[in-house]
Amino acid sequence: MANFRRFRPDDLNKLSKCNLDPFTETYELGFYLQYYAKWPALFQVAEDQHGNIIGYIMGKLESSPDVYRFSEHYLPWHAHITAVTVAPEARRLGIGKLLTEQLEVAADANDAWFVDLFVRVTNHKAITFYKNMGYSVFRVVKDYYGEHSTDPSLSSEDAYDMRKPMKRDVKREHVRDDGEKHEVDPSDVW
Amino acid sequence: MSYRYGRPALKSSVDVQLQTAFSDGNWSTVIRLAAKRAATLKDPYYEAIRMCAESQLDGTAEKCAVLAAVDDLVKTKKTADIDTVELYEWACRDFFAFDVEYADTLGPLRARWAKANPGSPLALQCLQACLDKWDLVSAQQIATSLDKAYANTADRRYMFWNITLTFLLSISPQCTDASRKVYSLLAIRQLERAADLTENSAKLEPTDRGLLTEEEVCLYYRVLHSHGTKEEFVSRLKSPKLGAISQLKEGRKLLFCEGLDALETWGEWELIYNLCREALTLGLEGGTSPFFVCDLQIWRKLASAASKVPDSDSSLGEVQAVLKRYIEMKDTASAMYKKNLSLALLETTFRLPATALNPNHDSTGLSPRVVQIGLFLDQYFERLSAFDDVKGYVAELGFDEVKRLMEDVLPKMLDEDADTARKTVLNALECRLRYLLTTCPQTLSPQPSVVDGPTQDKPFQCRLCTNPASLPCESCLRKLIVDASNAYKQISGDKALLDAIPRLDKDPRLDLALVLGTSLLKLSGLRPRTTDVGHSLWQAVEPGLFLQAVLLLDAQLKETPGDTELRLLLVQLYLLLGCASYAHQLWTPLDVKRTIQDALSPLFFDRISTLSPGLFHGSRPLMEPLRSFYNHNLGDKSPVRIWDAFLAGSYTSILDMTKHDGNLRRSCTLMMALVEDRRAIRCYGGKVDCEIEEHPLTENIDDDTTMVNKTDYGPFPNLESFHGPPIHEYLRLGPGLSNERSHLAFLSEQYLDLLLYKPPKDYKPSKQTEVALRDREYTLETLSRLSSSLTDFLHQPATPSRLTASETTYYTVLSLLSATLLIALSTPRSDAVPKTLSLLTGSIKSAFASLRTDFFSLSTSSTSATKNKSLPGACATFTEMPTLSAIRDTALAIKHSAAFVLACHDKELARDRSGRSGVHRDVLAEMRVLDLTAGKALAEVKGHVLRLKEALGEGGWLDRVLDLVFGGEEEEGDDEVTRAVEEVVGGRGAAEEWAGRVVESWREGVKGWGMVRME
Repeated sequence: MANFRRFRPDDLNKLSKCNLDPFTETYELGFYLQYYAKWPALFQVAEDQHGNIIGYIMGKLESSPDVYRFSEHYLPWHAHITAVTVAPEARRLGIGKLLTEQLEVAADANDAWFVDLFVRVTNHKAITFYKNMGYSVFRVVKDYYGEHSTDPSLSSEDAYDMRKPMKRDVKREHVRDDGEKHEVDPSDVW
Repeated sequence: MSYRYGRPALKSSVDVQLQTAFSDGNWSTVIRLAAKRAATLKDPYYEAIRMCAESQLDGTAEKCAVLAAVDDLVKTKKTADIDTVELYEWACRDFFAFDVEYADTLGPLRARWAKANPGSPLALQCLQACLDKWDLVSAQQIATSLDKAYANTADRRYMFWNITLTFLLSISPQCTDASRKVYSLLAIRQLERAADLTENSAKLEPTDRGLLTEEEVCLYYRVLHSHGTKEEFVSRLKSPKLGAISQLKEGRKLLFCEGLDALETWGEWELIYNLCREALTLGLEGGTSPFFVCDLQIWRKLASAASKVPDSDSSLGEVQAVLKRYIEMKDTASAMYKKNLSLALLETTFRLPATALNPNHDSTGLSPRVVQIGLFLDQYFERLSAFDDVKGYVAELGFDEVKRLMEDVLPKMLDEDADTARKTVLNALECRLRYLLTTCPQTLSPQPSVVDGPTQDKPFQCRLCTNPASLPCESCLRKLIVDASNAYKQISGDKALLDAIPRLDKDPRLDLALVLGTSLLKLSGLRPRTTDVGHSLWQAVEPGLFLQAVLLLDAQLKETPGDTELRLLLVQLYLLLGCASYAHQLWTPLDVKRTIQDALSPLFFDRISTLSPGLFHGSRPLMEPLRSFYNHNLGDKSPVRIWDAFLAGSYTSILDMTKHDGNLRRSCTLMMALVEDRRAIRCYGGKVDCEIEEHPLTENIDDDTTMVNKTDYGPFPNLESFHGPPIHEYLRLGPGLSNERSHLAFLSEQYLDLLLYKPPKDYKPSKQTEVALRDREYTLETLSRLSSSLTDFLHQPATPSRLTASETTYYTVLSLLSATLLIALSTPRSDAVPKTLSLLTGSIKSAFASLRTDFFSLSTSSTSATKNKSLPGACATFTEMPTLSAIRDTALAIKHSAAFVLACHDKELARDRSGRSGVHRDVLAEMRVLDLTAGKALAEVKGHVLRLKEALGEGGWLDRVLDLVFGGEEEEGDDEVTRAVEEVVGGRGAAEEWAGRVVESWREGVKGWGMVRME
């Protein structure tokens, strides 16, 4: 039922199966196109037999600005997963995993040290998913999200910055085992 | 550009006094000081500063002096220094929003400077500035200069910017016809050279002008596809280095996919077959990762190509062999690919010739096709997408196969399984398949007793239930409703089953409710609504069954509020029912915002002003999010984020983003948003911002523009087979958005703009006669253009199927009115009035009369909803408010047209007291008649709204609606279908709240109509 291919702008007219799901954010046109313009190989979609988009991943390749080169929070050349989503009808088929793997292939092809992403600390399902794929917590970003997903009495929520080392990181220099113990402020994340 | 368009910094050599005055915006001081410095230093830069300062003053001459200076520079072919160009661009910034073209002014100045200074980093800024303004001519020239300056350097971008821009220019309207061929050749020849270099070199260095990256290779193929020949494309696709397979081996899939698409359009099945087979074999043999191209579309293309090549039997055999090898390693695949392989097996089975499938001519129906469907469902029936996966194949089965599948294979599937939840899911799937089969013609056979001649209601015999039938078979639908209702009740009454639902992919009650709802809709007689406005919804359908469907689906939404398919279905149903405010309540939680608006907004907003203008009276302007989306993304002339793609070297992205931007600027949804807004504004006597033709968003739209409809119907549930229209076509208020309707709406708004134009109050021209002559000339030219364009679009072959009947009347009348006015205003008073005029006005009157009669007769004619006095007569029109709106719009257009002619006459009389130049007496008389007709029609519309209001103000509405749904007391419980619905929704008592909401929404709609101006 699915084809995997690179995103193309026409797909924005076929996003409804993913984006009408309340858990998927719809961004401004410029946001999608920025990713397509700069990192087309890291913007992949899964489509069904009717051309509807049933899953997509948006990622980017970057490093921290040079001005932070000597900061402890400096991020070397790496890929970042900005968004990954799968339509309800296409879940439990491993589409999210396949899309993530494809992004990792692109990250390796671009000589990235690691792939990273942010996830709410309460999103246990996603955390388990990424852990099963070889990601681990690198640090905890305190109050990263402006609202809490499950507790309306709280005004913020922490994020895990999770990472998976790529082929370039032979010595696994960019991951750590005790990431849950390393807390940083949102201002340390660029 | 750092300032774009903040005030630019002056050169550092400029003295502090002038710098300060400039940065403070102290323009008179700047003018004085700059003039002084220019005289003293003889530096033209100071002259430019002076001119820019003058451009900030209020006088028109001062403002425009800078334009004259730029024009002079362009014409004299002088190369101004870049600081002067920057200053001029800043000073001219506001002119670009009007008729001043960047390509005629600043673009050439920038191109000239970049050509003279290609090595300067500022040349890159010049390129960006031209791209920002989408001046492709200048951008291409700059890219060429940059390419020459940086040829054979490691930065390959300049070469490919040059090629990409040359190609973009060659396909752009900015290119003259004379140059188009040159640019096309230039783009393709450069790429061919690069491709040959790649093919012939052992190894390419970044400094070589060959094709290295995937983006460069794909750019080549895109240009080749557009400007080359098929033979060249095909030959290169098979080449050793740049061929699709060799690129695939390097992990590049894009070319392979795009190449196959191109080959399919040319019907190159043999090459498609070879490429797909080779690519899939690569995966088996380690040439790529195993499932790299194991997509369903590749399998489909392979199977389809195999069935079309000369030796199809052996090719299909080979497809099966490759597939078998994949199936052998299926265990290592992810769930997604396992499923793709199962579907590929189904696909290949269905593409095999009948002889290969059934060599013994077995007529029991247990064909390999049925077996494969059975095997697939055995694995996947619990999946949410199972029905969608198999429905196309089931619809292809012959009747014997269908029978076997439904009576043998499916029932036995869970014979020995004790899991009731699984059985329930299978049962729901079976109901969906039964519904699907009611839409398949193979379930019917010609009725032997039916003879050729008059059309008969039930000309067939259903092969499933043996009853006389039409498509769909009514008896099958009735039985299906009863069975689905029983299945629904079984779930609702079983706590263990209810507890099991969260563990399932989907609540089976939802599937059953959709089957029940769509079956009821079909049974009610609902058909796609196109041009049959004479039939109101209540005339076309059995209201009880229709309302039962709405009630049942609404009740289901309470159980599964998060289901978007169901929500969308209900939004459409309530719009059809005339309950726009309630439909809006259901629409809002879908949160259609930002990027997805262009594709999804038509599902709610199309024709909304004609259905319920009152919705526009909310606290937030209804169309604001759409308007803001288009303003934000189309405000600049260049495609959003295009410079990012240039910088990143994403050449295919540049081409796709340009195409997407072009489509968005020609979007039918965009036109819908503008027109709906204007119609609603006029309804309440508001003033529209600007004439539609002057609107920045319609800048590039003219009669030759093909408007693009990208409405996304993907999220609708669709149980229909490919033999008939999809469900959304049954639910729309009329035909969907289209090029034809968009143009007609655009032209009509232009016509109204002409009629309703009022000059500013302080506009007092000194040369009145001259101005009057020019006005007249403009009016006649505009009328002539509009009349001809409206007629052209109305007469296009597809137009009748793109409009409802009331829309056809409205646009026809406008077309006739524009022709009438043209004659009326161009016929000298002394000449005889051409006979055409009376023919035109006669046509207007008869078309309008017919529209009014059709509509108002609905109030008196007997419909199922009104015949047993369930609803007062007028209420048969709740669902037909768009027609009422068309009557009002047509009447107002006639009224304004007549007033326009009379006003022209009065103006002429005031100007030329001789009385020779006014409008002809007979024309004036005819206009007065038209005005009278329009006035009468408006009074009728007003009266009708009043009657609706009064009717809705009466008591007993809940009972009326519930009587329609369940029948009156004497009928209640008689009919098995009604009983089935009652049992699912919880009976009449449980439906009261729903009926209240329906009635309240009707009341709100009519209240909105009550405030609409009728003048």
